[in-house]
Amino acid sequence: MHRVGAGFRFSAAMAIFMMVGAARLGAQHPDFTGVWTTYNEPGQALAGRGAGPALPLTEAAKQKVARYQALVAPTGDTPGGFCLGTGMPGSMLGSGGYPMEIQQRPEQIMIVYEAHSEIRRVYLGDRIVPDADRLPGRNGHSSGRWDGNTLVVETTHLVEQVDQRYPHSDKTRIVERYHLEKGKGGEDVLVADMTMTDPVFYTTPVTVVKKWARVPNGHLLPYECAEENWLKRLEELEAAAAKK
Amino acid sequence: MKQFALIAALAALCGASVAAHHSAVQFDFTRSETMTGVVKKFRAINPHMQLVLHVKDAKGERDIVFEGHSTNNMYRAGYRDNMINVGDTITVYIAPLRDGSEGGYVTAAVTASGVRFGAQSRAEQARERERAEGR
Repeated sequence: MHRVGAGFRFSAAMAIFMMVGAARLGAQHPDFTGVWTTYNEPGQALAGRGAGPALPLTEAAKQKVARYQALVAPTGDTPGGFCLGTGMPGSMLGSGGYPMEIQQRPEQIMIVYEAHSEIRRVYLGDRIVPDADRLPGRNGHSSGRWDGNTLVVETTHLVEQVDQRYPHSDKTRIVERYHLEKGKGGEDVLVADMTMTDPVFYTTPVTVVKKWARVPNGHLLPYECAEENWLKRLEELEAAAAKK
Repeated sequence: MKQFALIAALAALCGASVAAHHSAVQFDFTRSETMTGVVKKFRAINPHMQLVLHVKDAKGERDIVFEGHSTNNMYRAGYRDNMINVGDTITVYIAPLRDGSEGGYVTAAVTASGVRFGAQSRAEQARERERAEGR
């Protein structure tokens, strides 16, 4: 019978210890996985968010936004009215007050916003897509990195959007810094410090803080925005068929 | 007359048929009214619950079309599957239409078995309005 020497046993034990240690180091980042809903500070009114502070828009941006607002004012139309997701930064600021779900892996973080089932993918490390291979969109393209216990997400490749609370051009760059805190009741609070820099639309960077409270064992619900229109269309077809 | 009320209400709904999740500016969320009737149609869907109530009151007998908050938000405010069925007598709390016509935006309801779900406070209604407008 082959006997393992004490030196080998020590080395093997050290190797296992180092592997476990490395795995623990790899898992050192906070885990944001779970369902989150808008966090209201104790005593904070639940009332609507209102118009918010005046934005430092450039003159050109003011004109574009004013043209858009004049266009939709008579009908009150919104992108959501056409089942279009909010887009960044509206999505990360809590579209419609609905919750969001985060699924976190070392190389990719998925964020699903219940409203309109908007999805953002934050790529990290080797998963980060080269600039030339990115397509622009309403939620842009997001890459992430860890700065200690803070997740830093940079979003670029956004299309111009005059149709949201924080309108922006296609040159905008949004940086979100996520970290965990404890609320007064000891609950997990996810804090997002957002900075939007856009030399075309803004004279200075815009900063917003959004807080989310963890929903223990929370579940997102399906959100099929187009179902209502489809059912109405079927009713129209049935009515037309009944006339024949 | 009752046919006109129904057609007008349906037209109001279908007029923006391209836009299911439309703005809620036509509803007055500072006011809350109640209406009781028999469920003629009910759809618990997103982004807006759809409801037709057969109502009988001093104005007569007619069908009134309502819409309401998304199923998802109603679920979180207490709604569960099969709580409302055709033929049930229910009471709805609504934000009425600003133009004075019948119908409105359902913010809460009391089911045939007496279960109440939804939101009613002004603050909650303000939040509902934002949700309804997709903000």
